[in-house]
Amino acid sequence: MQTSASAPADDRLLPRIGQWLSTTNLVVPAILVAWFAIVIVPIIILFVYSFFSTAQFRTVYEPSLDTWIGLFESGRWEVTLRTLRIAVTVTLIELVGAFPFALWLAKGGVSKGGRAVCLALLTIPFFLDMSSRTIVWRAILGQSGLVNTVLMGTGLTDAPVEWLLYSEVAVHFGMVVSLFPPMVLPIYMAINLIDDSLIEASKDLGASPWQTLRRVILPLSLPGVMAGVVFCLGPALAAWVEPGMLGGGFVNLISNSIESAYSALRYPVVAALSAFVILLLLVLLAAMYLIARRFGDPASSFRVLRG
Amino acid sequence: MKDRFSTYSQAELTRRNLLLGMSALAGTAAMGGFPGRAAAQDLPLVKAYGVPTAALKDWAPMEKSIGVRCELSGASNDVGVFMRDVMGANMGDTADIFIFESGTEDILGPQGLYATLDEAHPELTLWERTSDDWKRSAVVQDRDGKQWGVPVIGNADSFGYFPEKVGIAPDSTEELSWSLMFEDEATRGRVAYGNAYTYSMGPAALYLQGKGAAQFGNIADLTAEEAKLVADFLIERKKAGQFRTLYGAFEEQIQLLTNKEVDVINCWEPAVREANLVLGPDATRYAYTKEGYFKWGHGAYIAAQAVDRGNLDAIYKVLNYFLSGEYRALQARDRGYAGPNMDLGVEYAQSSGWTAEEIEALKATEAKVAKKFAKPYVSTTTPDNAGAMEEEWQRFMNA
Repeated sequence: MQTSASAPADDRLLPRIGQWLSTTNLVVPAILVAWFAIVIVPIIILFVYSFFSTAQFRTVYEPSLDTWIGLFESGRWEVTLRTLRIAVTVTLIELVGAFPFALWLAKGGVSKGGRAVCLALLTIPFFLDMSSRTIVWRAILGQSGLVNTVLMGTGLTDAPVEWLLYSEVAVHFGMVVSLFPPMVLPIYMAINLIDDSLIEASKDLGASPWQTLRRVILPLSLPGVMAGVVFCLGPALAAWVEPGMLGGGFVNLISNSIESAYSALRYPVVAALSAFVILLLLVLLAAMYLIARRFGDPASSFRVLRG
Repeated sequence: MKDRFSTYSQAELTRRNLLLGMSALAGTAAMGGFPGRAAAQDLPLVKAYGVPTAALKDWAPMEKSIGVRCELSGASNDVGVFMRDVMGANMGDTADIFIFESGTEDILGPQGLYATLDEAHPELTLWERTSDDWKRSAVVQDRDGKQWGVPVIGNADSFGYFPEKVGIAPDSTEELSWSLMFEDEATRGRVAYGNAYTYSMGPAALYLQGKGAAQFGNIADLTAEEAKLVADFLIERKKAGQFRTLYGAFEEQIQLLTNKEVDVINCWEPAVREANLVLGPDATRYAYTKEGYFKWGHGAYIAAQAVDRGNLDAIYKVLNYFLSGEYRALQARDRGYAGPNMDLGVEYAQSSGWTAEEIEALKATEAKVAKKFAKPYVSTTTPDNAGAMEEEWQRFMNA
């Protein structure tokens, strides 16, 4: 009884709230202010902190360039370049592998059951602990691991292949495995939303499959590609488990370096390293945006999601 | 030592046992409560704060022996903990004693947050007979030699190894050189090296000093130049392929040994024990070394505020108990770590009717500790040059 009485009231209330929000121009400024307070301000504080120094485990609040000079003099800044190089490489590998897979899954005539199984296999890893998923590779890739046992058992190699574990190859491999779902799922969603009639029309107008891919599917899937790149690049830049467990200490990335500085309570070094990565990331995203513009309009391509 | 991926630190290694003990206590409570607990509530209370390794599985023997109750709130061994809790949050307002790994006394003592130890306090009856190796160590004295606390537990860390791989008899107690870790051709590419500067930089300096390649003022607190020298040596060895891996966690120590991925690893002693449970007795051994050890210890320090709280006698009774045979024997049996006055621990076990096997184990621990602790060096969690050491360590990591 009560629900039937309150339902019409709710029906009236929601449109009224929507109407009020659209007439007052408060929403966008409110979100911007909140964003500024919880995201931008901490980054500014981080940047300011990088101009302090540490003495006997305590931060010395006197502006100086010591931390930044130390960062470059000791060669520590190289860790940021290495991290970027590995993160970008992993992201590109993911993109090359994920796009065809997503295309096949969305438009390749896969049955509903097959699609459900694939999506389940892609999402299940999210529910498992990253360390547990990564550490099993050590038993597989180690000197006395499964791969080396098979290689030596079949006579393909005489001695264990050492670079399978505790190397950059192993770190790349571990990251590619763990970051495949964040890349493939947004691309799959975007391609899945493309109206089949658009692809049919392209074909009817005489376009080759390559032309359809390049001029129809690729531009319309850009939002998914961009999202996939961001979802993949972000965690790759912050990767900590894979370099720690599969790199064997030989692949020192930004997170490892920050953790080490943190253990000595060197907050200004942590801040400088983080600030440096943010600056490099801004440059990278700007470059990515310019490249994406060549294929379409990344900003307006979100319109496809309305379909 | 603290590590990154591990769920526990060396100091907290026995927390699992502690929890098991607590579960048992909870079970006893559920079955009808603890006899004598009500009486214990009337005893004077000493509040402790620090790493839980110092806790007994059951404090009842202590309450019976000295008539004081101790309540220990566990904290991690992180340098940030005592900076934040003791300095920032004034933990001394509530805690009577702090129990931390060596290093805190160098900062918190001179800053007035710890009270100096009154070595002549009438309740500190065992102080005189405690050996200087323990009571005058850098764990409980600051750099000026001022006494801030009493030693509680400790160990001397070296490296684990496979005797057959390095050509040594499994039951040998021969002192080995750290060269097996850093320069031996036979172990090249078969060595795992801890990737924390606090744990691994010292042994490298110790080795360089041992072979006469360098002389260091204080191995636990290397100056920028000294740290650079050590890092240069390590970079050269890294490039020569000496290290198979630079590990980060206690679980990794065990895994690297049980998988036989490496022949030598600088690690905690319990890792060797754990590996032998899988591989068989004496499959791996923990080395006696020629040059020295990464000696670590926990000290108990009095909060400055506690001096005027009127329970100083009870506090000193607890500190004295940490030096006693009963505490030593119970700690060694239940947690496997050593401490000062191991001989009193043996005496206690004998007079308390412990089994011959338990007494033998205590004697072996006593002999082992006496042999190891005569050599350098005592580690610290708070080197003055932490910044320079960490920076040079990163240069090694990035090389």
